[in-house]
Amino acid sequence: MSEGGSMDRQQIALKLAADGVALDFKIDSFRDRLILQKAMYLVQAAGVHLGYHYQWYLHGPYSPALTRDEYAVVADCARGLDDSKGWRLDEQSRRRLEDLRVLLKPRKRPDLARELELLASVHFLITHQQVAKPDDDQQIADVLRRFGKNFQREDVKSARRELSEHGLL
Amino acid sequence: MSTACSDRGGPGKVIADPIHGAIHLAQREVQVIDTPSFQRLRGLKQLAMAQSVFPNATHTRFAHSVGALGMMIRILDAAQEKIEILPEQRENLRLAALLHDVGHYPYSHLMEKVDSVVLTEDEVEGAATPAREIDATKTPYPRHEEMGRLIVTSQGDLVNAIGGANRAKAVADIFTRTGSADPQLSKLIHSSFDIDRWDYLARDSHAAGVPYGNIDIHYLLNNLRVSPEKTVGFSHKALPALEHFLLARFFMHRVVYYHKTIYGLEEACRQLLRRLRDHYPDKYEIPLDGNAVGELVRSDDLHSFTDAFVDAIVRKAAKHPGNKEEDKVIRALAGAIQSRKPPKILMEVPVYEECHRKHHAGTAFLQRCRSDLKKLSTDFSIPLGQFLLCVPTVVLVKVPPEYSATQVTRLTGDDVTARAHKEEEEQIWVFRQDDVEPTSLLDFEPSLVKQWAKFFFQACRLYVVLEVPDADDKVIKLRDRVKDWGKS
Repeated sequence: MSEGGSMDRQQIALKLAADGVALDFKIDSFRDRLILQKAMYLVQAAGVHLGYHYQWYLHGPYSPALTRDEYAVVADCARGLDDSKGWRLDEQSRRRLEDLRVLLKPRKRPDLARELELLASVHFLITHQQVAKPDDDQQIADVLRRFGKNFQREDVKSARRELSEHGLL
Repeated sequence: MSTACSDRGGPGKVIADPIHGAIHLAQREVQVIDTPSFQRLRGLKQLAMAQSVFPNATHTRFAHSVGALGMMIRILDAAQEKIEILPEQRENLRLAALLHDVGHYPYSHLMEKVDSVVLTEDEVEGAATPAREIDATKTPYPRHEEMGRLIVTSQGDLVNAIGGANRAKAVADIFTRTGSADPQLSKLIHSSFDIDRWDYLARDSHAAGVPYGNIDIHYLLNNLRVSPEKTVGFSHKALPALEHFLLARFFMHRVVYYHKTIYGLEEACRQLLRRLRDHYPDKYEIPLDGNAVGELVRSDDLHSFTDAFVDAIVRKAAKHPGNKEEDKVIRALAGAIQSRKPPKILMEVPVYEECHRKHHAGTAFLQRCRSDLKKLSTDFSIPLGQFLLCVPTVVLVKVPPEYSATQVTRLTGDDVTARAHKEEEEQIWVFRQDDVEPTSLLDFEPSLVKQWAKFFFQACRLYVVLEVPDADDKVIKLRDRVKDWGKS
């Protein structure tokens, strides 16, 4: 029910943000989808507001509206209708995305998926006050384990450090 | 139409209401109503600019909120023999009904969706705008439910009246349908078939003087049933009343909420606010983004954040100085609103299509506007900003989008959970004669709604705002120029 056959403004911003962090806009597999979801979560956490509302699901923060837009953008791009060409994000957002590239630095995609899931989940649990003691890495690791994630206290500690270094906490 | 809502809240006051009769308030509800944060709702018209066409449609969010409480009392009374609700749950549900709209913006959805502009000037092909740039540093305005949560949990007068921070959070959890709230009970506040809709359809219809929203509340309540799993639904005997309810909402949208004159004026106001916010942020003091709105509603300024806030801006903008094209557009939009000279509709393309269809006459029309509007603007010497494009859309029932076979193979557990949650929220349950657990209305064979649920209605409209002596002649010529734009 999108207004045109082409992307709307939010979808254009989404595509520009993915390009800005040099992320392939792929949704071929579960892992690709997870990477895109978590990367865009971190993009928003860095102050690049794309307008997606995230809630906690099985694999950490997740936005159903982003899922819909992922499909729409991929479909349009496949038909050669990438409307993001000719558009850009504001300068400050472009700089923020450039800073974030390091977080998404090239590595094997399974590692990237796992790392982004950890970073996004730790950020969400701390900033949304979903744990009684947000400073307690062990408590956060316990919550993640309840969702079947094999993350240890040391993983949480390292994620917290990385998030802080990039100004996300 | 009226009946009496029973008194289950102890000693309190009674409010006479044209829809629900006498609404008996509990002491705590009186305390909530008496707070400045709740009294603000007296300054928000329920139907924004509908009074420009339906002169009696001047009722407020305050009246609707009290009515929603009245409706909740009636539902709880009807369900009391069938479902066990603890006294504290009952009290929280009543408070959630009363407070579900406390976060509305001035002129409600008009200002809330100030960024939902279908076609901005920089999206029109050939428009002489600076770089096509999206400012992602600004957070969007939050939805009114989220605003409501902020207000209920941060405004001291409400927190105290509700009974403390924990209680306030529990109430907000119900009307935003998050956190630990019971999913079935909070569905009464927020779903396809919630007390909000029960009240506003009847109240708006009554106030506007049109019959379309006159739903059969008594019969529906008499046929309310609850399953052992606490699923709230209706006996199959009430199927026509249920279908009427859904159709009532559909027709109220077509006749009142999306009326061409009302919608045109509201769109003009929305675009005016957006322009003033983006180009003259200091002069007009419109919250810059979602963070600024959040700060405003946590402060004492909340109490003056009413329709009058926007009215004052429109009055000031009508005298906006300057001779740049932007200044002229601002004066034209503000003048049209202030003197009730509604935007003229140049073309409307009505669309009835299945929800999954992405390409239809409406999308062809929008594409044509995107590609040819600049030339039209130049040929008639009318600034691009005075053309308004809108696509009001309504469905009978919100059905989550269908995934294609390829997409299904890519779904994650989170996708499936999110979809199930959405589906559950929108479900309307019907009990067949002997069944203990209900069936979804969408799976109920004899249902008319089942047949029509997959369709949406959209009115793709192009308006122009003109403030010139020969406006009527110009409109005739403009209509002639765009008459073929709806053809694929």
